[in-house]
Amino acid sequence: MLTLDSFIKSIDYLPPMPRNTTALINLLDRPDIDVDQVVELISYDPALTAQVLRLCNSAFFGGAPASDIHEATVRVGFNEILQLVVALGTATLMRPQQKGYGIEAGDLWKHCVTSALVGKLVAVDCQADASLAFTACMLHDIGKVALSRSLEAKYDEVVAETKRCQSPMLVVEQKLLGFDHAEVGGRLLQLWNFPVQLVQAVQFHHNPAASPQHRELAAYAYYGNMIACFMGFGCGLEALAFQGRSDALEIIGTTPEQIPGYMAKAFYAIRDTEALLCFPF
Amino acid sequence: MPAPSLIGIGFEHRVVVGLAELAVSNNPSAVLTTYSLGSCLGVAIYDPVVKVGGLLHAMLPDSSIDRAKAAAHPGMFLDTGLPALLREAFGMRADKRRLRICVAGGAQIMDDGNVFNIGGRNRAAFAEFLRRENLRADAEQVGGSVNRTMYFSIQTGRVTLKVSGLQNELILC
Repeated sequence: MLTLDSFIKSIDYLPPMPRNTTALINLLDRPDIDVDQVVELISYDPALTAQVLRLCNSAFFGGAPASDIHEATVRVGFNEILQLVVALGTATLMRPQQKGYGIEAGDLWKHCVTSALVGKLVAVDCQADASLAFTACMLHDIGKVALSRSLEAKYDEVVAETKRCQSPMLVVEQKLLGFDHAEVGGRLLQLWNFPVQLVQAVQFHHNPAASPQHRELAAYAYYGNMIACFMGFGCGLEALAFQGRSDALEIIGTTPEQIPGYMAKAFYAIRDTEALLCFPF
Repeated sequence: MPAPSLIGIGFEHRVVVGLAELAVSNNPSAVLTTYSLGSCLGVAIYDPVVKVGGLLHAMLPDSSIDRAKAAAHPGMFLDTGLPALLREAFGMRADKRRLRICVAGGAQIMDDGNVFNIGGRNRAAFAEFLRRENLRADAEQVGGSVNRTMYFSIQTGRVTLKVSGLQNELILC
């Protein structure tokens, strides 16, 4: 059985995260974040520029059409632009089918966008950094993209094991591979030099209390993932086979009674975004 | 001019019932479909005599958390969605005494403390509604940790389920 490090080294099929997305996510970490720097980064990528402009000029944002990214950023708001870029930038990685998890094309990305919208809603109410929560939720399952191919060859075993022992998917991954998608995701982000809070949020998104320094951000990722699964935006085999963690709610100061309210709010956020990002649900 | 009828030519047309929506039909070529239920509950009702069927995709048990949202989207909650579903079906001459009812979804995460049990609460709200209305479910495939998609043929009344990650569909009723 491979170790986590040797597995990560052996990955030769993972499409890279667009460089601009990585650079933008790194900016999240900086207190002196500069709009011009963000505009410059987006401008390097003509396809991304076109997409961002199309979205900013859509009916969702309204107002007079913006003709360049700088104008769009000023009009729509810096954080909104950043979240759009993260969502669009991760699409390349997350949209393909993930056979090892029984995930159809498009479904993982849809799951992550839904999680991110929920994480942002909760973070705004808790007066936390909404863009950071959005990004942590957007990235939380990135390890699945790396692990899918390894599990694909063992898919019958995965199905049999999840049915047989009714254990969380994380445990099945550990048993069959020796590591799980949360660990792999965290390590990938570390290799890509992502900020440490995002590394830990992804690594501990199934057990936020275990995060050494960034329990709160991990708890937003946990919350977003959970609500997305409740609402049917979980994906693949045994999508809801993960542990309920009431301590994750305590970390961010929410209660179980608030869950239905956030599901109802998320319904509207998803509908708005559906029109924006063109995914029907 | 009405659209030409495809009935009898073997065409089916898929009517997607989205999250928090409901639909009722007496068009034999319609296949009411609702995707990926998660903890939500999919409820299908059918009167085989007049061949009227309805499908609801409800997210939550109880509309008291937000009456305004319930008014705008009765299908979001079971306590508003189920009466609306029945009302629509009765409006198309379905008879309560002949109704066949089947239900799927209500999945849940692994939760020893029963803290996060939205799926279970949805199932309880459904059972309570049936009890109050003196109705019963003819088939159910609920709970567990899987996502389910429902396909409901108005022509045959048959409801089939697709479980996420698995190839085969199974017949619910």
